[in-house]
Amino acid sequence: MNFSRAFAPYLEFAKKAFAREATYRIEVFSEIGSLVLRVYLVRSLWTALYLQNAAPINLPLHAMITYATVALLMSLILEVDGTRLIRDKIRDGSIATDLMKPISVPFYLFSDGFGRTALHAFTIIPSLLLALLLVRIDVPPVPVLLWFSLSFAIGYCVNFLLNFLMNAVAFWTIESFAAQLIVRWTSDLLSGSIIPLTFFPSFLGRLVFALPFAAIYSTPLLIYVGVASPADYTRMVGVQLAWLALFGVISYATWRAAERRIVVQGG
Amino acid sequence: MFRTVRRSTGPLGALRTLFSREYDEKVAVGGVTMSVDAGELIGYIGPNGAGKSTTIKMLTGILVPTSGEVSVAGVVPYRRRTENARNIGVVFGQRSQLYWDLPLIESFELLRAIYSIPRDRYRRNLDAFVDLLAMNDFLHTPVRQLSLGQRMRGDFAAAMLHDPRIVFLDEPTIGLDVVAKENIREFIRGVNLERGTTVILTTHDLADVERLCSRIVLIDEGTIVYDGDVSRIKSQYGRTRTLKVVFTHPVAAPALDGAHLDGVEGQIARFHFERDRVRADALIRQASERYDITDIALEEPDLESIIRTIYLEGYDGVRSEA
Repeated sequence: MNFSRAFAPYLEFAKKAFAREATYRIEVFSEIGSLVLRVYLVRSLWTALYLQNAAPINLPLHAMITYATVALLMSLILEVDGTRLIRDKIRDGSIATDLMKPISVPFYLFSDGFGRTALHAFTIIPSLLLALLLVRIDVPPVPVLLWFSLSFAIGYCVNFLLNFLMNAVAFWTIESFAAQLIVRWTSDLLSGSIIPLTFFPSFLGRLVFALPFAAIYSTPLLIYVGVASPADYTRMVGVQLAWLALFGVISYATWRAAERRIVVQGG
Repeated sequence: MFRTVRRSTGPLGALRTLFSREYDEKVAVGGVTMSVDAGELIGYIGPNGAGKSTTIKMLTGILVPTSGEVSVAGVVPYRRRTENARNIGVVFGQRSQLYWDLPLIESFELLRAIYSIPRDRYRRNLDAFVDLLAMNDFLHTPVRQLSLGQRMRGDFAAAMLHDPRIVFLDEPTIGLDVVAKENIREFIRGVNLERGTTVILTTHDLADVERLCSRIVLIDEGTIVYDGDVSRIKSQYGRTRTLKVVFTHPVAAPALDGAHLDGVEGQIARFHFERDRVRADALIRQASERYDITDIALEEPDLESIIRTIYLEGYDGVRSEA
């Protein structure tokens, strides 16, 4: 079995997911509209907050607005729950038919999520153009952009595995919505997608940087806006990779355990 | 072995279930020992909850047995799930493996990639199945818009595209009309004869079994109670015959020696008798001597009524009666 043949099914899964997602046109358009509205809101919010308070030295208003806007654009990709499919498949039992195919189900889920994400990634372009009518975004030099891209890619994988683990809870409980909401809220607050983690006071600040959520939004964003100095890049990306590895191991173990306890409902 | 949560009853039962759990342990499949030769077409039947699906799940590798051995084409399914998957095809009557939102043909294309089927073989199989199952009209229709009959045909093709050596069919004709059922049966027979595919058919429709299978495996409460020819189970356990007699004029209380009256409806009376105790021709002679008769018919039990008796009275019940 050569590599391209082994890879072919997953490419096909991604393509099918992309095509499927593209059929929901209204959802895609409203997503762009909602994003532009949120860009306007964060601009107003941070402008007002900066008027009332002394700006932090390393994060002036224009950098803050860049941070918030880039975070929103990233959310177009990161808010796609690429593994929601697991929950649906457990509930309707079709996970069983997937397991009867000569494929790796986790890679299938990843490809499907990736295909769906790819479609949403395209909405970044119109969203960005529209957002530029409202805000000015700083553009860092190319090496920083490359580090940002690398860090974002790792963040995407960490986020994917986090979602995977949340959805995999459904293997044990059938329903996992509540667990998911809690993690989502925690993640929204502690990942740096809304408030830069550097704003958290001393002890809390150290705590949030020690949590895995920081690897999702905060690390790439701090690189992008220049709060992180180039000397720290390797260490920061290294921490992300460590989280990715840890989540990878946990996910693998979870999957193995889940695979062993599949009981199809009403079979 | 299954562990199920025991639900408490009573007004506070649901609450109690939420906080404390007691488990019931149940052996789903305990006494199933069987071997199937390549190219066989067997009917695997039993009442709901007998353990049929559990067996199929173990054979397809998605359920790990707590004890015992399973081997499919030389592969232990749960140890080497993906390798096993290449050897098998599965059709569930109640669950489609086609991609709901996509045109049928795209599901086939996806399966070509999944099983890495060489293009020429894929083309040849697809053409053959499109022809056999008359799928030309809806090949490009999204699966969600297909009728049940069309979807089932699609599912059959999907399960067979990679030339599996063994196919598991779980109630493949459920919900289909008579014509569609017959078409599917023809297809199953054809695949078994021409491609030599081993078929394990699980169904509640015993007409499927009667038409297709020479061997039947009957399972009840996780144990095999019969494994053998369809004709043998019929001759051995279907010894009761029904004699239908149509009289010229209504008869008040008809009686025949050696036969039991089941009931009278107008001019028609039904008797049943044990084939090995009373001879049918003797009964017929007796009837024609006693009464004026316009018509007489001998009915032998179909597989369904035999199996029904086994389900209701147990296997031994049938044996002792016979």
